[in-house]
Amino acid sequence: MKEIRINGRKQFGGQVTAEALVSKGPLEGFTNQNPMMGWVTEREHPLYKVPYKDKVLVYTYARGSGGFAAFGSGPNLPAAFVHHQSNALSNSAALNGRIPSVTDLEIDPTTVIETGDKVFVNGDEGYIIVYKDE
Amino acid sequence: MQLTDEEKRMLQGEEGLVRQKCMEQLVDLCDVAGADRLVDLDGTGDFTHAAMMSQGRYGFPLEELKALADSGAKFKIPTYSNKVPLPQVPFHGWEKCGIPQHEDPEYNKKLREEEYMSVYRQMGLFTSCTCANYLISSFWPTVGQHCSWTESSAVPYCNAVLGGRTNLDGSFASCFLGKAPYYGMHVTENRYATIVVKSERTLRTEMEWDIFGFAVGELSKLEVPALVGMADATTSKTVKINAALNTGGSIPMYHIPGVTPEAQTLELALNGKQPKETYVIGEKELRDAYDKVNYLPSEDIDFVSLGCPHYNLVDLMRVAHLLEGKKCKVRLWIMTTPWMYDLAKSQGFLKIFDDAGATLLTGTCPAAMGMPDGIKSVAMDSVKQSYYITGRYSSPEDPLHVCYGTKEDCVEAAITGKWRGEWR
Repeated sequence: MKEIRINGRKQFGGQVTAEALVSKGPLEGFTNQNPMMGWVTEREHPLYKVPYKDKVLVYTYARGSGGFAAFGSGPNLPAAFVHHQSNALSNSAALNGRIPSVTDLEIDPTTVIETGDKVFVNGDEGYIIVYKDE
Repeated sequence: MQLTDEEKRMLQGEEGLVRQKCMEQLVDLCDVAGADRLVDLDGTGDFTHAAMMSQGRYGFPLEELKALADSGAKFKIPTYSNKVPLPQVPFHGWEKCGIPQHEDPEYNKKLREEEYMSVYRQMGLFTSCTCANYLISSFWPTVGQHCSWTESSAVPYCNAVLGGRTNLDGSFASCFLGKAPYYGMHVTENRYATIVVKSERTLRTEMEWDIFGFAVGELSKLEVPALVGMADATTSKTVKINAALNTGGSIPMYHIPGVTPEAQTLELALNGKQPKETYVIGEKELRDAYDKVNYLPSEDIDFVSLGCPHYNLVDLMRVAHLLEGKKCKVRLWIMTTPWMYDLAKSQGFLKIFDDAGATLLTGTCPAAMGMPDGIKSVAMDSVKQSYYITGRYSSPEDPLHVCYGTKEDCVEAAITGKWRGEWR
Protein backbone atom coordinates (compact mmCIF):
# COMPACT_ATOMS: atom_id res chain seq x y z
CA MET A 1 0.00 0.00 0.00
CA LYS A 2 1.38 3.35 -1.04
CA GLU A 3 0.70 6.34 1.18
CA ILE A 4 0.58 9.89 -0.17
CA ARG A 5 0.47 12.74 2.32
CA ILE A 6 -0.90 16.09 1.20
CA ASN A 7 -0.59 19.06 3.52
CA GLY A 8 -3.20 21.75 3.80
CA ARG A 9 -5.10 23.80 6.32
CA LYS A 10 -7.43 22.72 9.05
CA GLN A 11 -10.93 23.90 8.24
CA PHE A 12 -12.82 21.87 10.83
CA GLY A 13 -11.35 19.51 13.40
CA GLY A 14 -11.70 15.77 13.78
CA GLN A 15 -10.12 12.70 12.20
CA VAL A 16 -11.65 10.00 10.04
CA THR A 17 -10.66 7.36 7.49
CA ALA A 18 -13.18 6.58 4.78
CA GLU A 19 -13.61 5.94 1.07
CA ALA A 20 -13.36 8.91 -1.24
CA LEU A 21 -16.03 10.21 -3.58
CA VAL A 22 -14.26 12.53 -6.00
CA SER A 23 -15.58 15.40 -8.07
CA LYS A 24 -12.90 16.48 -10.52
CA GLY A 25 -14.61 19.85 -10.74
CA PRO A 26 -16.46 22.20 -8.42
CA LEU A 27 -19.65 21.47 -6.50
CA GLU A 28 -22.65 23.76 -6.38
CA GLY A 29 -25.42 24.10 -3.81
CA PHE A 30 -28.97 25.53 -3.55
CA THR A 31 -31.23 23.50 -5.87
CA ASN A 32 -28.23 21.79 -7.45
CA GLN A 33 -27.79 19.71 -4.32
CA ASN A 34 -30.29 17.81 -2.19
CA PRO A 35 -29.29 17.74 1.48
CA MET A 36 -32.06 15.35 2.43
CA MET A 37 -30.95 12.75 -0.11
CA GLY A 38 -27.27 13.56 0.27
CA TRP A 39 -26.41 14.00 -3.37
CA VAL A 40 -25.79 16.47 -6.18
CA THR A 41 -28.64 17.38 -8.57
CA GLU A 42 -26.69 19.66 -10.91
CA ARG A 43 -27.43 18.82 -14.53
CA GLU A 44 -24.70 16.94 -16.38
CA HIS A 45 -22.60 16.73 -13.19
CA PRO A 46 -20.51 13.52 -12.98
CA LEU A 47 -21.74 12.95 -9.41
CA TYR A 48 -25.41 13.46 -10.29
CA LYS A 49 -27.43 11.60 -7.62
CA VAL A 50 -24.39 9.67 -6.36
CA PRO A 51 -24.80 9.41 -2.57
CA TYR A 52 -21.99 11.00 -0.58
CA LYS A 53 -23.11 9.78 2.84
CA ASP A 54 -20.15 8.58 4.93
CA LYS A 55 -17.69 9.28 2.07
CA VAL A 56 -14.77 11.65 2.07
CA LEU A 57 -16.21 14.19 -0.35
CA VAL A 58 -13.26 15.39 -2.44
CA TYR A 59 -13.69 18.31 -4.82
CA THR A 60 -11.86 21.26 -6.28
CA TYR A 61 -13.78 24.25 -4.89
CA ALA A 62 -17.27 25.44 -4.06
CA ARG A 63 -19.21 27.63 -6.45
CA GLY A 64 -22.60 29.24 -6.78
CA SER A 65 -25.18 30.20 -4.21
CA GLY A 66 -24.78 30.61 -0.46
CA GLY A 67 -27.03 27.58 -0.30
CA PHE A 68 -23.77 25.61 -0.53
CA ALA A 69 -23.88 25.55 3.28
CA ALA A 70 -26.45 22.76 2.94
CA PHE A 71 -23.67 20.32 2.02
CA GLY A 72 -23.19 20.39 5.79
CA SER A 73 -26.87 19.74 6.53
CA GLY A 74 -29.31 16.87 6.47
CA PRO A 75 -29.32 13.24 7.54
CA ASN A 76 -26.81 12.00 4.96
CA LEU A 77 -23.62 13.94 5.68
CA PRO A 78 -20.26 13.01 4.18
CA ALA A 79 -17.62 11.64 6.56
CA ALA A 80 -15.31 14.54 5.71
CA PHE A 81 -14.70 17.39 3.29
CA VAL A 82 -11.44 17.62 1.34
CA HIS A 83 -11.07 20.35 -1.26
CA HIS A 84 -8.27 22.19 -2.99
CA GLN A 85 -9.23 25.79 -2.25
CA SER A 86 -11.51 27.24 0.38
CA ASN A 87 -13.91 30.14 0.12
CA ALA A 88 -16.82 31.53 2.11
CA LEU A 89 -19.10 28.82 0.71
CA SER A 90 -16.97 25.90 1.80
CA ASN A 91 -16.33 27.58 5.16
CA SER A 92 -20.05 27.73 5.82
CA ALA A 93 -20.53 24.09 4.82
CA ALA A 94 -17.72 22.97 7.12
CA LEU A 95 -19.06 25.01 10.02
CA ASN A 96 -22.55 23.71 9.38
CA GLY A 97 -21.53 20.07 9.04
CA ARG A 98 -18.99 20.02 11.87
CA ILE A 99 -17.17 17.13 10.19
CA PRO A 100 -13.41 16.82 9.61
CA SER A 101 -12.46 19.23 6.85
CA VAL A 102 -9.11 19.96 5.25
CA THR A 103 -8.58 22.57 2.54
CA ASP A 104 -6.09 24.90 0.86
CA LEU A 105 -4.00 21.84 0.00
CA GLU A 106 -0.56 22.15 -1.56
CA ILE A 107 -1.78 20.25 -4.62
CA ASP A 108 -5.23 19.70 -6.07
CA PRO A 109 -6.34 16.48 -4.33
CA THR A 110 -8.63 15.56 -7.23
CA THR A 111 -5.50 14.95 -9.33
CA VAL A 112 -4.33 12.30 -6.86
CA ILE A 113 -7.41 10.74 -5.30
CA GLU A 114 -9.77 8.47 -7.22
CA THR A 115 -13.26 7.53 -6.11
CA GLY A 116 -12.95 4.46 -3.90
CA ASP A 117 -9.48 5.28 -2.55
CA LYS A 118 -9.17 5.16 1.22
CA VAL A 119 -8.32 8.58 2.66
CA PHE A 120 -7.33 9.57 6.19
CA VAL A 121 -8.48 13.11 6.92
CA ASN A 122 -6.82 14.86 9.84
CA GLY A 123 -8.89 17.98 10.41
CA ASP A 124 -7.06 18.70 13.64
CA GLU A 125 -3.66 19.14 12.01
CA GLY A 126 -4.68 19.96 8.45
CA TYR A 127 -3.41 17.14 6.27
CA ILE A 128 -4.67 14.04 4.49
CA ILE A 129 -3.14 10.68 3.64
CA VAL A 130 -4.27 8.85 0.53
CA TYR A 131 -3.86 5.06 0.43
CA LYS A 132 -3.20 3.57 -3.00
CA ASP A 133 -2.73 -0.07 -3.97
CA GLU A 134 0.83 -0.65 -5.21
CA MET B 1 -7.25 34.22 17.86
CA GLN B 2 -7.09 37.83 19.01
CA LEU B 3 -10.20 39.08 20.79
CA THR B 4 -10.79 42.45 22.39
CA ASP B 5 -11.82 42.62 26.02
CA GLU B 6 -15.37 43.39 24.94
CA GLU B 7 -15.41 40.38 22.61
CA LYS B 8 -14.08 38.15 25.37
CA ARG B 9 -16.80 39.35 27.73
CA MET B 10 -19.45 38.53 25.16
CA LEU B 11 -17.93 35.11 24.51
CA GLN B 12 -17.96 34.34 28.20
CA GLY B 13 -21.65 35.20 28.44
CA GLU B 14 -21.26 38.36 30.47
CA GLU B 15 -23.37 40.29 27.95
CA GLY B 16 -26.21 37.76 27.84
CA LEU B 17 -27.02 34.54 26.01
CA VAL B 18 -27.78 35.97 22.57
CA ARG B 19 -24.51 37.92 22.32
CA GLN B 20 -22.65 34.89 23.63
CA LYS B 21 -24.14 32.63 20.94
CA CYS B 22 -23.41 35.21 18.26
CA MET B 23 -19.81 35.54 19.40
CA GLU B 24 -19.38 31.75 19.49
CA GLN B 25 -20.57 31.58 15.89
CA LEU B 26 -18.21 34.33 14.72
CA VAL B 27 -15.21 32.89 16.57
CA ASP B 28 -15.89 29.43 15.12
CA LEU B 29 -16.21 30.95 11.66
CA CYS B 30 -12.85 32.65 12.13
CA ASP B 31 -11.36 29.28 12.97
CA VAL B 32 -12.88 27.63 9.90
CA ALA B 33 -11.86 30.52 7.62
CA GLY B 34 -8.33 30.82 9.01
CA ALA B 35 -8.95 34.36 10.29
CA ASP B 36 -7.20 35.45 13.46
CA ARG B 37 -9.46 38.34 14.41
CA LEU B 38 -12.77 40.05 13.82
CA VAL B 39 -13.20 43.34 12.00
CA ASP B 40 -15.64 45.99 13.22
CA LEU B 41 -18.21 46.68 10.53
CA ASP B 42 -19.02 50.23 9.47
CA GLY B 43 -21.02 49.48 6.33
CA THR B 44 -24.25 47.52 5.87
CA GLY B 45 -25.42 43.95 6.23
CA ASP B 46 -28.03 41.45 5.24
CA PHE B 47 -28.91 37.97 6.31
CA THR B 48 -31.38 35.21 5.64
CA HIS B 49 -33.59 34.69 8.58
CA ALA B 50 -34.19 31.10 9.48
CA ALA B 51 -36.11 29.56 12.30
CA MET B 52 -32.83 27.78 12.95
CA MET B 53 -32.07 30.83 15.04
CA SER B 54 -33.92 28.95 17.73
CA GLN B 55 -32.17 25.67 16.98
CA GLY B 56 -28.72 24.24 16.82
CA ARG B 57 -25.44 25.16 18.38
CA TYR B 58 -25.71 28.91 17.89
CA GLY B 59 -29.44 29.11 18.49
CA PHE B 60 -31.41 30.75 21.26
CA PRO B 61 -35.10 30.79 22.15
CA LEU B 62 -37.38 33.41 20.59
CA GLU B 63 -38.15 34.60 24.13
CA GLU B 64 -34.47 35.52 24.56
CA LEU B 65 -34.60 37.55 21.37
CA LYS B 66 -37.76 39.32 22.53
CA ALA B 67 -36.20 40.14 25.88
CA LEU B 68 -33.16 41.51 24.09
CA ALA B 69 -35.34 43.66 21.83
CA ASP B 70 -37.36 44.89 24.81
CA SER B 71 -34.12 45.91 26.50
CA GLY B 72 -33.51 48.28 23.60
CA ALA B 73 -30.85 46.29 21.72
CA LYS B 74 -30.43 47.25 18.04
CA PHE B 75 -28.52 45.94 15.06
CA LYS B 76 -25.09 47.51 15.04
CA ILE B 77 -25.16 48.31 11.31
CA PRO B 78 -27.98 49.09 8.85
CA THR B 79 -29.25 45.60 8.07
CA TYR B 80 -31.69 44.22 5.52
CA SER B 81 -33.32 40.82 5.25
CA ASN B 82 -32.79 38.45 2.38
CA LYS B 83 -35.70 36.33 1.22
CA VAL B 84 -37.60 34.38 3.87
CA PRO B 85 -36.50 30.76 4.34
CA LEU B 86 -37.21 28.15 1.70
CA PRO B 87 -39.57 27.72 0.00
CA GLN B 88 -39.52 31.52 0.07
CA VAL B 89 -43.21 32.30 -0.29
CA PRO B 90 -44.19 35.34 -2.35
CA PHE B 91 -45.17 38.55 -0.56
CA HIS B 92 -47.36 39.69 -3.44
CA GLY B 93 -49.07 37.76 -6.20
CA TRP B 94 -49.29 34.49 -4.27
CA GLU B 95 -53.10 34.42 -4.54
CA LYS B 96 -52.90 33.76 -8.27
CA CYS B 97 -49.54 32.07 -8.74
CA GLY B 98 -51.07 28.80 -9.86
CA ILE B 99 -49.55 26.62 -7.14
CA PRO B 100 -52.33 25.46 -4.76
CA GLN B 101 -50.05 25.28 -1.72
CA HIS B 102 -48.79 28.82 -2.25
CA GLU B 103 -52.34 30.12 -2.77
CA ASP B 104 -53.25 29.07 0.77
CA PRO B 105 -53.23 32.24 2.94
CA GLU B 106 -52.37 30.32 6.10
CA TYR B 107 -49.36 28.70 4.43
CA ASN B 108 -48.18 32.06 3.15
CA LYS B 109 -48.61 33.72 6.54
CA LYS B 110 -46.85 30.94 8.43
CA LEU B 111 -43.78 30.87 6.19
CA ARG B 112 -43.21 34.61 6.45
CA GLU B 113 -42.25 33.98 10.09
CA GLU B 114 -43.65 37.28 11.23
CA GLU B 115 -43.12 36.31 14.87
CA TYR B 116 -39.38 36.72 14.25
CA MET B 117 -39.62 39.55 11.72
CA SER B 118 -41.57 41.79 14.10
CA VAL B 119 -38.88 41.39 16.75
CA TYR B 120 -36.14 42.04 14.21
CA ARG B 121 -37.93 45.22 13.10
CA GLN B 122 -38.03 46.36 16.71
CA MET B 123 -34.26 45.92 16.67
CA GLY B 124 -33.90 47.93 13.47
CA LEU B 125 -33.91 45.30 10.73
CA PHE B 126 -35.31 46.43 7.39
CA THR B 127 -37.50 43.45 6.47
CA SER B 128 -37.06 43.95 2.74
CA CYS B 129 -37.02 40.21 1.95
CA THR B 130 -35.11 40.23 -1.32
CA CYS B 131 -31.97 38.86 -2.93
CA ALA B 132 -31.35 42.34 -4.36
CA ASN B 133 -31.32 44.64 -1.35
CA TYR B 134 -28.77 46.84 -3.08
CA LEU B 135 -31.51 47.88 -5.53
CA ILE B 136 -33.90 49.21 -2.90
CA SER B 137 -31.87 49.84 0.25
CA SER B 138 -31.65 53.66 -0.26
CA PHE B 139 -28.44 53.50 1.75
CA TRP B 140 -25.27 51.98 0.36
CA PRO B 141 -21.80 51.28 1.72
CA THR B 142 -19.10 53.60 0.45
CA VAL B 143 -15.64 52.65 -0.77
CA GLY B 144 -13.68 50.84 1.92
CA GLN B 145 -16.52 50.25 4.36
CA HIS B 146 -16.63 46.81 5.94
CA CYS B 147 -19.90 44.95 5.42
CA SER B 148 -21.45 41.54 5.93
CA TRP B 149 -23.70 40.48 3.05
CA THR B 150 -25.09 37.05 2.42
CA GLU B 151 -26.40 36.78 -1.14
CA SER B 152 -24.00 35.35 -3.72
CA SER B 153 -25.31 37.59 -6.53
CA ALA B 154 -25.19 40.66 -4.26
CA VAL B 155 -21.72 40.22 -2.77
CA PRO B 156 -19.93 41.46 -5.93
CA TYR B 157 -22.27 44.44 -6.03
CA CYS B 158 -20.83 45.40 -2.68
CA ASN B 159 -17.20 44.61 -3.49
CA ALA B 160 -16.80 45.35 -7.18
CA VAL B 161 -19.52 47.89 -7.97
CA LEU B 162 -19.64 49.90 -4.73
CA GLY B 163 -16.16 49.31 -3.34
CA GLY B 164 -17.48 48.06 -0.01
CA ARG B 165 -15.83 45.05 1.57
CA THR B 166 -17.64 41.83 2.30
CA ASN B 167 -17.32 38.09 2.26
CA LEU B 168 -20.44 36.00 1.84
CA ASP B 169 -21.07 35.77 5.57
CA GLY B 170 -24.05 37.96 6.49
CA SER B 171 -25.77 36.50 9.53
CA PHE B 172 -27.79 37.68 12.50
CA ALA B 173 -24.57 37.36 14.50
CA SER B 174 -22.44 39.52 12.21
CA CYS B 175 -25.08 42.21 11.68
CA PHE B 176 -26.28 42.38 15.27
CA LEU B 177 -22.78 42.58 16.74
CA GLY B 178 -21.33 44.52 13.80
CA LYS B 179 -18.37 42.18 13.48
CA ALA B 180 -17.14 39.69 10.88
CA PRO B 181 -14.10 37.44 10.44
CA TYR B 182 -11.22 39.48 9.02
CA TYR B 183 -10.13 37.63 5.90
CA GLY B 184 -10.87 37.43 2.19
CA MET B 185 -12.40 40.59 0.76
CA HIS B 186 -11.86 42.62 3.95
CA VAL B 187 -8.11 42.52 3.27
CA THR B 188 -6.79 45.03 0.71
CA GLU B 189 -4.20 42.66 -0.82
CA ASN B 190 -6.89 40.07 -1.63
CA ARG B 191 -8.93 42.53 -3.66
CA TYR B 192 -6.52 43.08 -6.55
CA ALA B 193 -7.03 41.23 -9.81
CA THR B 194 -4.98 38.06 -10.19
CA ILE B 195 -6.10 37.12 -13.69
CA VAL B 196 -7.25 38.99 -16.79
CA VAL B 197 -10.18 37.83 -18.90
CA LYS B 198 -10.63 39.52 -22.26
CA SER B 199 -13.61 39.27 -24.52
CA GLU B 200 -12.89 39.32 -28.26
CA ARG B 201 -16.36 40.71 -28.86
CA THR B 202 -17.20 44.06 -27.26
CA LEU B 203 -19.93 43.10 -24.83
CA ARG B 204 -22.82 45.55 -24.89
CA THR B 205 -26.11 43.76 -24.24
CA GLU B 206 -27.54 42.32 -21.04
CA MET B 207 -27.47 38.84 -22.53
CA GLU B 208 -23.80 39.24 -23.50
CA TRP B 209 -22.90 40.35 -19.97
CA ASP B 210 -24.91 37.49 -18.48
CA ILE B 211 -23.38 34.79 -20.71
CA PHE B 212 -19.87 36.23 -20.37
CA GLY B 213 -20.31 36.21 -16.59
CA PHE B 214 -21.13 32.51 -16.60
CA ALA B 215 -18.12 31.74 -18.82
CA VAL B 216 -15.79 33.83 -16.65
CA GLY B 217 -17.14 32.20 -13.50
CA GLU B 218 -16.39 28.74 -14.87
CA LEU B 219 -12.80 29.47 -15.82
CA SER B 220 -11.73 31.83 -13.02
CA LYS B 221 -11.82 29.28 -10.20
CA LEU B 222 -11.31 31.40 -7.07
CA GLU B 223 -9.23 34.15 -8.65
CA VAL B 224 -10.14 37.84 -8.86
CA PRO B 225 -10.62 38.63 -12.55
CA ALA B 226 -10.06 41.92 -14.33
CA LEU B 227 -12.58 41.98 -17.17
CA VAL B 228 -11.69 43.61 -20.48
CA GLY B 229 -14.08 44.14 -23.36
CA MET B 230 -17.15 45.33 -21.46
CA ALA B 231 -19.01 48.36 -22.76
CA ASP B 232 -22.13 50.38 -21.98
CA ALA B 233 -22.35 49.36 -18.34
CA THR B 234 -25.77 49.74 -16.71
CA THR B 235 -27.25 48.74 -13.38
CA SER B 236 -29.16 45.89 -15.01
CA LYS B 237 -26.02 44.57 -16.71
CA THR B 238 -23.96 44.60 -13.51
CA VAL B 239 -26.79 42.80 -11.72
CA LYS B 240 -26.76 40.17 -14.48
CA ILE B 241 -23.03 39.60 -14.50
CA ASN B 242 -22.84 39.40 -10.71
CA ALA B 243 -25.42 36.63 -10.62
CA ALA B 244 -23.84 34.80 -13.55
CA LEU B 245 -20.30 34.99 -12.13
CA ASN B 246 -21.64 33.34 -9.00
CA THR B 247 -23.48 30.63 -10.88
CA GLY B 248 -20.62 29.53 -13.11
CA GLY B 249 -18.16 30.22 -10.32
CA SER B 250 -17.61 31.90 -6.99
CA ILE B 251 -16.44 35.45 -7.65
CA PRO B 252 -16.98 37.91 -4.80
CA MET B 253 -14.78 40.53 -6.47
CA TYR B 254 -13.79 41.62 -9.96
CA HIS B 255 -12.65 44.74 -11.73
CA ILE B 256 -13.75 46.38 -14.95
CA PRO B 257 -11.00 48.95 -15.55
CA GLY B 258 -12.48 52.39 -15.99
CA VAL B 259 -15.87 51.30 -14.64
CA THR B 260 -15.54 49.79 -11.16
CA PRO B 261 -14.26 52.15 -8.46
CA GLU B 262 -11.10 50.37 -7.35
CA ALA B 263 -9.51 50.17 -10.81
CA GLN B 264 -9.46 53.09 -13.18
CA THR B 265 -6.88 51.19 -15.23
CA LEU B 266 -5.89 47.56 -15.76
CA GLU B 267 -2.55 48.27 -14.08
CA LEU B 268 -4.33 49.53 -10.96
CA ALA B 269 -6.61 46.50 -10.98
CA LEU B 270 -3.52 44.27 -10.96
CA ASN B 271 -1.69 46.45 -8.42
CA GLY B 272 1.11 46.78 -10.93
CA LYS B 273 1.78 43.04 -11.00
CA GLN B 274 1.63 40.53 -13.82
CA PRO B 275 -1.54 38.42 -13.95
CA LYS B 276 -1.19 34.72 -13.22
CA GLU B 277 -3.08 34.06 -16.46
CA THR B 278 -4.68 35.99 -19.28
CA TYR B 279 -7.69 34.31 -20.85
CA VAL B 280 -9.44 35.26 -24.05
CA ILE B 281 -13.13 34.52 -24.44
CA GLY B 282 -13.96 34.23 -28.12
CA GLU B 283 -17.12 33.46 -30.04
CA LYS B 284 -16.80 29.72 -29.39
CA GLU B 285 -16.54 30.16 -25.62
CA LEU B 286 -19.53 32.50 -25.54
CA ARG B 287 -21.54 30.08 -27.65
CA ASP B 288 -20.59 27.16 -25.40
CA ALA B 289 -21.74 29.09 -22.34
CA TYR B 290 -24.99 30.04 -24.06
CA ASP B 291 -25.60 26.39 -24.97
CA LYS B 292 -25.13 25.37 -21.34
CA VAL B 293 -27.83 27.70 -20.08
CA ASN B 294 -30.13 27.41 -23.11
CA TYR B 295 -30.68 23.82 -22.03
CA LEU B 296 -32.50 21.41 -24.35
CA PRO B 297 -34.53 24.27 -25.83
CA SER B 298 -37.90 23.50 -27.34
CA GLU B 299 -40.12 25.41 -29.72
CA ASP B 300 -43.19 25.25 -27.48
CA ILE B 301 -43.17 27.14 -24.19
CA ASP B 302 -45.62 26.66 -21.34
CA PHE B 303 -44.19 28.93 -18.64
CA VAL B 304 -42.11 32.12 -18.57
CA SER B 305 -40.35 33.72 -15.62
CA LEU B 306 -38.47 37.04 -15.53
CA GLY B 307 -36.58 38.78 -12.76
CA CYS B 308 -33.63 36.88 -11.35
CA PRO B 309 -32.13 38.67 -9.51
CA HIS B 310 -35.24 40.66 -8.61
CA TYR B 311 -36.07 43.29 -11.20
CA ASN B 312 -35.37 46.97 -10.65
CA LEU B 313 -37.92 49.63 -11.58
CA VAL B 314 -36.48 50.18 -15.06
CA ASP B 315 -36.64 46.47 -15.86
CA LEU B 316 -40.28 46.45 -14.74
CA MET B 317 -40.99 49.42 -16.98
CA ARG B 318 -39.36 47.76 -19.97
CA VAL B 319 -41.48 44.64 -19.54
CA ALA B 320 -44.60 46.77 -19.05
CA HIS B 321 -43.87 48.52 -22.33
CA LEU B 322 -43.48 45.15 -24.08
CA LEU B 323 -46.73 43.84 -22.61
CA GLU B 324 -48.90 46.92 -23.03
CA GLY B 325 -52.07 46.00 -24.89
CA LYS B 326 -50.99 42.34 -25.29
CA LYS B 327 -52.36 39.09 -23.86
CA CYS B 328 -50.20 36.26 -22.59
CA LYS B 329 -50.88 32.84 -24.02
CA VAL B 330 -48.90 31.08 -21.30
CA ARG B 331 -48.29 31.92 -17.65
CA LEU B 332 -45.79 34.75 -17.11
CA TRP B 333 -44.26 35.51 -13.72
CA ILE B 334 -42.38 38.75 -13.16
CA MET B 335 -40.24 38.76 -10.01
CA THR B 336 -39.27 41.82 -8.02
CA THR B 337 -38.66 42.98 -4.47
CA PRO B 338 -41.62 43.43 -2.11
CA TRP B 339 -40.82 47.13 -1.70
CA MET B 340 -41.00 47.64 -5.47
CA TYR B 341 -44.60 46.43 -5.65
CA ASP B 342 -46.23 49.72 -4.70
CA LEU B 343 -43.97 51.61 -7.09
CA ALA B 344 -44.97 49.29 -9.91
CA LYS B 345 -48.58 49.85 -8.97
CA SER B 346 -48.33 53.63 -8.79
CA GLN B 347 -46.53 53.77 -12.13
CA GLY B 348 -49.31 51.76 -13.78
CA PHE B 349 -47.13 48.74 -14.53
CA LEU B 350 -49.18 46.44 -12.32
CA LYS B 351 -52.35 47.17 -14.27
CA ILE B 352 -50.55 46.47 -17.54
CA PHE B 353 -49.31 43.15 -16.17
CA ASP B 354 -52.75 42.25 -14.86
CA ASP B 355 -54.46 43.18 -18.12
CA ALA B 356 -51.96 41.05 -20.03
CA GLY B 357 -52.56 38.09 -17.74
CA ALA B 358 -49.06 38.26 -16.24
CA THR B 359 -48.40 37.99 -12.49
CA LEU B 360 -46.12 40.26 -10.50
CA LEU B 361 -44.63 38.22 -7.67
CA THR B 362 -42.34 39.60 -4.99
CA GLY B 363 -39.75 38.21 -2.60
CA THR B 364 -39.09 34.85 -4.21
CA CYS B 365 -38.17 33.01 -7.45
CA PRO B 366 -39.19 29.81 -9.25
CA ALA B 367 -36.12 27.84 -8.16
CA ALA B 368 -36.99 28.63 -4.54
CA MET B 369 -40.79 28.40 -4.50
CA GLY B 370 -41.35 25.98 -7.37
CA MET B 371 -43.49 26.25 -10.49
CA PRO B 372 -47.06 25.18 -11.25
CA ASP B 373 -47.48 21.48 -11.99
CA GLY B 374 -47.04 20.06 -15.44
CA ILE B 375 -44.47 22.50 -16.79
CA LYS B 376 -42.34 20.92 -19.51
CA SER B 377 -40.62 23.91 -21.06
CA VAL B 378 -39.77 27.26 -19.49
CA ALA B 379 -38.36 30.50 -20.84
CA MET B 380 -36.14 32.66 -18.64
CA ASP B 381 -33.90 35.70 -19.01
CA SER B 382 -31.44 34.73 -16.29
CA VAL B 383 -28.39 32.48 -16.44
CA LYS B 384 -28.72 31.90 -12.72
CA GLN B 385 -32.35 30.88 -12.77
CA SER B 386 -31.80 28.68 -15.81
CA TYR B 387 -28.97 26.81 -14.14
CA TYR B 388 -30.80 26.25 -10.85
CA ILE B 389 -34.32 25.46 -12.02
CA THR B 390 -33.25 22.12 -13.49
CA GLY B 391 -31.71 21.14 -10.16
CA ARG B 392 -35.11 21.48 -8.57
CA TYR B 393 -36.81 19.60 -11.39
CA SER B 394 -34.06 17.15 -12.19
CA SER B 395 -35.05 14.12 -14.17
CA PRO B 396 -32.80 12.77 -16.92
CA GLU B 397 -35.69 10.64 -18.18
CA ASP B 398 -38.04 13.60 -18.55
CA PRO B 399 -35.83 16.67 -18.41
CA LEU B 400 -37.12 20.19 -18.03
CA HIS B 401 -36.45 22.26 -21.15
CA VAL B 402 -35.04 25.69 -20.35
CA CYS B 403 -35.03 28.34 -23.05
CA TYR B 404 -32.74 31.21 -22.16
CA GLY B 405 -32.88 34.60 -23.82
CA THR B 406 -33.52 38.30 -23.58
CA LYS B 407 -36.48 39.99 -21.91
CA GLU B 408 -37.88 40.58 -25.37
CA ASP B 409 -37.49 36.91 -26.34
CA CYS B 410 -39.19 35.82 -23.13
CA VAL B 411 -42.10 38.25 -23.36
CA GLU B 412 -42.68 37.19 -26.95
CA ALA B 413 -42.69 33.57 -25.79
CA ALA B 414 -45.30 34.43 -23.14
CA ILE B 415 -47.49 36.07 -25.75
CA THR B 416 -47.12 33.43 -28.48
CA GLY B 417 -46.26 30.25 -26.59
CA LYS B 418 -43.35 29.81 -29.03
CA TRP B 419 -39.61 30.22 -28.51
CA ARG B 420 -37.78 32.39 -31.00
CA GLY B 421 -34.76 33.32 -28.91
CA GLU B 422 -31.23 32.79 -30.16
CA TRP B 423 -27.64 33.72 -29.39
CA ARG B 424 -26.86 37.07 -30.90
